[in-house]
Amino acid sequence: MKTRNFKILLIGLILIIISLFFIINLYNKPFIDIKKSNPKIEITAQEILNDYQADESLANEKYVDNLIQIKGEIADISFDNGISIITLKDTSGFSSIICHMLPEANLNILKLKKENQVLIKGVCTGYLIDIMMVRCVLNNDNFDEK
Amino acid sequence: MKNKIIILLLLLISSQLFSQERYLTKEGYISFFSHSLVEDIKADNYQVLSVIDKKTGEIAIQLLMKSFMFKKALMQEHFNQSYVESYKYPKATFKGFILNLKELDNKNGTVAVEIKGILSIHGKEKEISTMANVQILKDQINLSGHFMVEVADFDIKIPIVVRNNIAKTIKITFDLQHKSYK
Repeated sequence: MKTRNFKILLIGLILIIISLFFIINLYNKPFIDIKKSNPKIEITAQEILNDYQADESLANEKYVDNLIQIKGEIADISFDNGISIITLKDTSGFSSIICHMLPEANLNILKLKKENQVLIKGVCTGYLIDIMMVRCVLNNDNFDEK
Repeated sequence: MKNKIIILLLLLISSQLFSQERYLTKEGYISFFSHSLVEDIKADNYQVLSVIDKKTGEIAIQLLMKSFMFKKALMQEHFNQSYVESYKYPKATFKGFILNLKELDNKNGTVAVEIKGILSIHGKEKEISTMANVQILKDQINLSGHFMVEVADFDIKIPIVVRNNIAKTIKITFDLQHKSYK
Protein backbone atom coordinates (compact mmCIF):
# COMPACT_ATOMS: atom_id res chain seq x y z
CA MET A 1 0.00 0.00 0.00
CA LYS A 2 2.77 2.32 0.98
CA THR A 3 4.73 1.68 -2.20
CA ARG A 4 1.59 2.29 -4.28
CA ASN A 5 1.02 5.67 -2.65
CA PHE A 6 4.65 6.47 -3.18
CA LYS A 7 4.39 5.59 -6.86
CA ILE A 8 1.33 7.82 -7.35
CA LEU A 9 3.07 10.63 -5.55
CA LEU A 10 6.19 10.16 -7.66
CA ILE A 11 4.25 10.13 -10.96
CA GLY A 12 2.29 13.20 -9.86
CA LEU A 13 5.49 14.99 -8.99
CA ILE A 14 7.10 14.12 -12.34
CA LEU A 15 4.02 15.37 -14.18
CA ILE A 16 4.10 18.63 -12.26
CA ILE A 17 7.80 19.11 -13.02
CA ILE A 18 7.28 18.38 -16.72
CA SER A 19 4.35 20.80 -17.01
CA LEU A 20 6.25 23.46 -15.05
CA PHE A 21 9.15 23.02 -17.45
CA PHE A 22 6.85 23.60 -20.44
CA ILE A 23 5.15 26.59 -18.84
CA ILE A 24 8.47 28.25 -17.96
CA ASN A 25 9.78 27.51 -21.44
CA LEU A 26 6.73 29.07 -23.04
CA TYR A 27 6.90 32.08 -20.71
CA ASN A 28 10.55 32.63 -21.61
CA LYS A 29 10.08 32.02 -25.30
CA PRO A 30 12.82 34.03 -27.00
CA PHE A 31 12.38 36.66 -29.73
CA ILE A 32 13.40 35.46 -33.17
CA ASP A 33 17.10 35.81 -33.88
CA ILE A 34 17.07 38.51 -36.55
CA LYS A 35 20.67 37.96 -37.56
CA LYS A 36 20.30 34.23 -38.16
CA SER A 37 16.83 34.27 -39.69
CA ASN A 38 16.18 34.61 -43.38
CA PRO A 39 14.03 37.56 -44.41
CA LYS A 40 10.55 36.71 -45.57
CA ILE A 41 10.50 39.63 -47.99
CA GLU A 42 13.36 41.34 -49.83
CA ILE A 43 12.49 44.74 -51.22
CA THR A 44 13.90 48.17 -52.10
CA ALA A 45 13.15 51.27 -50.02
CA GLN A 46 11.24 52.81 -52.90
CA GLU A 47 9.06 49.75 -53.45
CA ILE A 48 7.91 49.46 -49.85
CA LEU A 49 7.27 53.22 -49.64
CA ASN A 50 5.22 53.05 -52.83
CA ASP A 51 3.16 50.21 -51.37
CA TYR A 52 2.49 52.17 -48.16
CA GLN A 53 1.56 55.33 -50.00
CA ALA A 54 -0.82 53.43 -52.27
CA ASP A 55 -2.75 51.58 -49.55
CA GLU A 56 -1.65 51.59 -45.93
CA SER A 57 -3.84 48.78 -44.60
CA LEU A 58 -3.01 46.50 -47.50
CA ALA A 59 0.69 47.20 -46.96
CA ASN A 60 0.28 46.54 -43.22
CA GLU A 61 -1.13 43.10 -43.98
CA LYS A 62 1.82 42.39 -46.21
CA TYR A 63 4.68 43.77 -44.12
CA VAL A 64 3.84 44.28 -40.43
CA ASP A 65 5.41 41.70 -38.09
CA ASN A 66 7.40 40.19 -40.91
CA LEU A 67 11.16 40.02 -41.16
CA ILE A 68 12.00 42.25 -44.10
CA GLN A 69 15.24 43.10 -45.83
CA ILE A 70 15.29 46.57 -47.36
CA LYS A 71 17.84 47.88 -49.82
CA GLY A 72 18.21 51.62 -49.78
CA GLU A 73 20.31 54.74 -49.51
CA ILE A 74 21.10 56.24 -46.10
CA ALA A 75 19.56 59.67 -45.58
CA ASP A 76 20.57 60.04 -41.95
CA ILE A 77 22.26 58.25 -39.07
CA SER A 78 21.58 59.28 -35.48
CA PHE A 79 22.20 58.00 -31.98
CA ASP A 80 19.47 58.61 -29.47
CA ASN A 81 19.07 57.10 -25.98
CA GLY A 82 21.72 54.55 -26.87
CA ILE A 83 19.82 53.41 -29.93
CA SER A 84 21.17 53.98 -33.41
CA ILE A 85 18.65 55.00 -35.98
CA ILE A 86 19.25 54.74 -39.70
CA THR A 87 16.85 56.58 -41.97
CA LEU A 88 16.54 55.34 -45.53
CA LYS A 89 15.73 57.79 -48.26
CA ASP A 90 12.82 58.10 -50.54
CA THR A 91 13.70 59.53 -53.92
CA SER A 92 10.43 61.41 -54.18
CA GLY A 93 10.56 63.41 -50.96
CA PHE A 94 8.74 63.51 -47.66
CA SER A 95 8.45 59.95 -46.45
CA SER A 96 11.31 57.74 -45.36
CA ILE A 97 12.01 54.45 -43.59
CA ILE A 98 13.13 54.79 -39.98
CA CYS A 99 15.12 51.77 -38.80
CA HIS A 100 15.83 51.35 -35.09
CA MET A 101 18.92 49.18 -34.92
CA LEU A 102 19.76 46.47 -32.39
CA PRO A 103 22.75 47.41 -30.18
CA GLU A 104 24.84 44.66 -31.76
CA ALA A 105 24.78 46.57 -35.06
CA ASN A 106 26.38 49.69 -33.53
CA LEU A 107 29.99 48.93 -34.43
CA ASN A 108 29.20 48.41 -38.09
CA ILE A 109 27.10 51.55 -38.21
CA LEU A 110 30.17 53.62 -37.32
CA LYS A 111 31.64 52.64 -40.68
CA LEU A 112 28.65 54.00 -42.56
CA LYS A 113 28.09 57.42 -44.08
CA LYS A 114 25.16 59.23 -45.60
CA GLU A 115 24.35 58.13 -49.15
CA ASN A 116 25.85 54.67 -48.61
CA GLN A 117 23.79 51.84 -50.05
CA VAL A 118 22.82 49.37 -47.33
CA LEU A 119 20.82 46.22 -46.78
CA ILE A 120 18.90 46.41 -43.52
CA LYS A 121 17.04 43.46 -42.05
CA GLY A 122 14.40 44.01 -39.38
CA VAL A 123 10.78 43.83 -38.34
CA CYS A 124 8.24 46.29 -39.76
CA THR A 125 5.82 47.76 -37.20
CA GLY A 126 3.77 49.94 -39.54
CA TYR A 127 3.47 53.48 -40.89
CA LEU A 128 2.96 56.90 -39.28
CA ILE A 129 4.37 59.47 -41.69
CA ASP A 130 7.32 57.16 -42.22
CA ILE A 131 7.66 53.40 -42.30
CA MET A 132 8.83 52.15 -38.90
CA MET A 133 11.24 49.25 -38.46
CA VAL A 134 12.46 47.76 -35.18
CA ARG A 135 15.16 45.30 -34.11
CA CYS A 136 17.17 45.91 -37.28
CA VAL A 137 20.61 44.62 -38.21
CA LEU A 138 22.87 45.40 -41.15
CA ASN A 139 23.46 42.70 -43.67
CA ASN A 140 27.23 43.04 -43.56
CA ASP A 141 28.16 40.84 -46.47
CA ASN A 142 26.45 43.11 -48.89
CA PHE A 143 26.87 46.73 -47.97
CA ASP A 144 29.17 48.70 -50.18
CA GLU A 145 31.62 51.09 -48.58
CA LYS A 146 32.07 54.13 -50.72
CA MET B 1 4.06 98.90 -58.18
CA LYS B 2 4.50 95.37 -59.36
CA ASN B 3 7.65 95.02 -57.27
CA LYS B 4 5.86 96.31 -54.19
CA ILE B 5 3.12 93.73 -54.60
CA ILE B 6 5.67 90.98 -54.96
CA ILE B 7 7.50 92.16 -51.83
CA LEU B 8 4.22 92.38 -49.95
CA LEU B 9 3.29 88.88 -51.07
CA LEU B 10 6.67 87.51 -50.04
CA LEU B 11 6.33 89.17 -46.63
CA LEU B 12 2.89 87.70 -46.17
CA ILE B 13 4.04 84.24 -47.12
CA SER B 14 7.11 84.38 -44.88
CA SER B 15 5.15 85.70 -41.90
CA GLN B 16 2.69 82.85 -42.41
CA LEU B 17 5.53 80.39 -42.44
CA PHE B 18 7.08 81.78 -39.30
CA SER B 19 3.81 81.97 -37.44
CA GLN B 20 3.44 78.22 -37.89
CA GLU B 21 6.17 77.50 -35.36
CA ARG B 22 5.82 73.76 -35.57
CA TYR B 23 7.93 71.47 -33.45
CA LEU B 24 8.27 67.80 -34.28
CA THR B 25 9.79 64.54 -33.14
CA LYS B 26 9.70 61.16 -34.84
CA GLU B 27 11.62 59.41 -32.08
CA GLY B 28 9.68 60.32 -28.97
CA TYR B 29 9.53 57.92 -26.05
CA ILE B 30 6.39 56.53 -24.44
CA SER B 31 6.31 53.58 -22.08
CA PHE B 32 3.70 51.86 -20.00
CA PHE B 33 4.07 50.06 -16.75
CA SER B 34 1.79 47.60 -15.02
CA HIS B 35 2.48 46.56 -11.46
CA SER B 36 0.82 43.54 -9.89
CA LEU B 37 1.67 41.12 -7.14
CA VAL B 38 2.47 38.45 -9.69
CA GLU B 39 4.72 40.43 -12.05
CA ASP B 40 5.72 43.85 -13.32
CA ILE B 41 5.25 44.46 -17.02
CA LYS B 42 6.93 47.30 -18.88
CA ALA B 43 7.04 48.14 -22.56
CA ASP B 44 8.97 50.89 -24.35
CA ASN B 45 8.19 52.68 -27.57
CA TYR B 46 10.91 54.90 -29.03
CA GLN B 47 9.12 55.58 -32.32
CA VAL B 48 6.56 58.12 -31.21
CA LEU B 49 5.54 60.87 -33.61
CA SER B 50 4.55 64.14 -31.96
CA VAL B 51 3.89 67.62 -33.32
CA ILE B 52 3.40 70.82 -31.34
CA ASP B 53 2.13 74.09 -32.75
CA LYS B 54 3.76 76.60 -30.43
CA LYS B 55 1.42 79.40 -31.38
CA THR B 56 -1.80 77.59 -30.46
CA GLY B 57 -0.42 75.04 -28.01
CA GLU B 58 -1.97 72.29 -30.08
CA ILE B 59 -0.34 68.88 -29.74
CA ALA B 60 -0.86 65.71 -31.79
CA ILE B 61 0.79 62.40 -30.90
CA GLN B 62 0.72 59.15 -32.83
CA LEU B 63 2.31 55.80 -32.18
CA LEU B 64 2.22 52.25 -33.45
CA MET B 65 1.15 49.62 -30.92
CA LYS B 66 3.55 47.15 -32.57
CA SER B 67 6.47 49.43 -31.71
CA PHE B 68 6.08 48.69 -28.01
CA MET B 69 9.02 46.49 -27.07
CA PHE B 70 8.62 44.04 -24.18
CA LYS B 71 11.20 42.07 -22.29
CA LYS B 72 9.45 38.83 -23.12
CA ALA B 73 8.34 37.74 -26.57
CA LEU B 74 5.24 36.05 -25.18
CA MET B 75 4.06 39.22 -23.44
CA GLN B 76 4.48 41.20 -26.65
CA GLU B 77 2.54 38.57 -28.57
CA HIS B 78 -0.36 38.53 -26.10
CA PHE B 79 -0.43 42.33 -25.90
CA ASN B 80 -0.73 42.73 -29.68
CA GLN B 81 -2.94 39.75 -30.48
CA SER B 82 -5.32 39.47 -27.56
CA TYR B 83 -5.41 42.72 -25.60
CA VAL B 84 -5.02 45.74 -27.87
CA GLU B 85 -5.70 43.83 -31.12
CA SER B 86 -3.02 45.69 -33.07
CA TYR B 87 -4.04 44.16 -36.38
CA LYS B 88 -7.40 45.93 -36.03
CA TYR B 89 -6.23 49.08 -34.24
CA PRO B 90 -2.57 49.57 -35.22
CA LYS B 91 -2.26 53.11 -33.82
CA ALA B 92 -2.86 55.00 -30.61
CA THR B 93 -3.32 58.76 -30.83
CA PHE B 94 -3.60 61.80 -28.62
CA LYS B 95 -4.95 65.15 -29.79
CA GLY B 96 -5.12 68.08 -27.45
CA PHE B 97 -3.72 71.32 -26.16
CA ILE B 98 -0.90 72.40 -23.90
CA LEU B 99 -2.65 75.14 -21.93
CA ASN B 100 -1.01 78.58 -21.87
CA LEU B 101 2.02 77.41 -23.81
CA LYS B 102 2.59 80.82 -25.34
CA GLU B 103 2.90 82.57 -21.99
CA LEU B 104 5.78 80.28 -21.04
CA ASP B 105 8.02 81.51 -23.80
CA ASN B 106 10.13 83.78 -21.63
CA LYS B 107 10.48 81.45 -18.69
CA ASN B 108 13.71 79.59 -18.16
CA GLY B 109 14.06 76.03 -17.00
CA THR B 110 11.35 73.45 -16.65
CA VAL B 111 7.79 74.58 -16.01
CA ALA B 112 4.70 72.58 -15.10
CA VAL B 113 1.87 72.79 -17.64
CA GLU B 114 -1.55 71.25 -18.03
CA ILE B 115 -2.36 69.15 -21.08
CA LYS B 116 -5.93 68.33 -22.06
CA GLY B 117 -7.15 66.21 -24.90
CA ILE B 118 -8.54 63.01 -26.30
CA LEU B 119 -6.59 59.79 -25.99
CA SER B 120 -7.54 57.04 -28.39
CA ILE B 121 -6.45 53.44 -27.85
CA HIS B 122 -8.02 50.23 -29.15
CA GLY B 123 -10.57 52.28 -31.10
CA LYS B 124 -11.94 53.88 -27.91
CA GLU B 125 -11.67 57.55 -27.04
CA LYS B 126 -11.25 59.03 -23.60
CA GLU B 127 -10.80 62.60 -22.51
CA ILE B 128 -7.76 63.04 -20.31
CA SER B 129 -6.08 65.87 -18.49
CA THR B 130 -2.61 65.68 -16.99
CA MET B 131 0.20 67.80 -15.71
CA ALA B 132 3.51 67.69 -17.56
CA ASN B 133 6.92 69.31 -17.48
CA VAL B 134 7.75 71.53 -20.40
CA GLN B 135 11.09 73.01 -21.25
CA ILE B 136 11.29 75.57 -24.02
CA LEU B 137 14.72 76.02 -25.54
CA LYS B 138 15.86 77.65 -28.72
CA ASP B 139 14.53 75.43 -31.52
CA GLN B 140 13.36 72.80 -29.05
CA ILE B 141 10.37 71.96 -26.84
CA ASN B 142 10.77 69.10 -24.38
CA LEU B 143 7.70 67.58 -22.85
CA SER B 144 7.78 64.90 -20.18
CA GLY B 145 5.61 63.43 -17.46
CA HIS B 146 3.33 60.56 -16.64
CA PHE B 147 -0.33 59.81 -16.06
CA MET B 148 -2.52 56.83 -15.22
CA VAL B 149 -5.15 55.17 -17.42
CA GLU B 150 -7.77 52.56 -16.62
CA VAL B 151 -7.52 49.47 -18.83
CA ALA B 152 -11.33 49.12 -18.72
CA ASP B 153 -11.84 52.60 -20.25
CA PHE B 154 -10.47 51.33 -23.54
CA ASP B 155 -12.52 48.17 -23.72
CA ILE B 156 -9.41 46.01 -23.39
CA LYS B 157 -10.40 42.57 -22.18
CA ILE B 158 -7.99 40.63 -19.98
CA PRO B 159 -8.68 36.89 -19.65
CA ILE B 160 -9.46 35.67 -16.12
CA VAL B 161 -6.40 33.40 -16.07
CA VAL B 162 -4.00 36.34 -16.21
CA ARG B 163 -6.23 38.89 -14.49
CA ASN B 164 -3.94 38.94 -11.46
CA ASN B 165 -0.86 39.49 -13.63
CA ILE B 166 -2.04 42.77 -15.13
CA ALA B 167 -2.88 45.92 -13.21
CA LYS B 168 -6.26 47.61 -13.69
CA THR B 169 -4.53 50.97 -13.82
CA ILE B 170 -1.52 51.43 -16.07
CA LYS B 171 1.11 54.12 -15.71
CA ILE B 172 2.04 55.85 -18.94
CA THR B 173 5.32 57.77 -19.09
CA PHE B 174 6.29 60.14 -21.90
CA ASP B 175 9.41 62.02 -22.93
CA LEU B 176 9.07 63.92 -26.18
CA GLN B 177 11.89 66.12 -27.40
CA HIS B 178 10.53 68.19 -30.25
CA LYS B 179 12.75 70.10 -32.60
CA SER B 180 11.75 73.12 -34.59
CA TYR B 181 10.48 71.92 -37.94
CA LYS B 182 11.35 73.77 -41.10
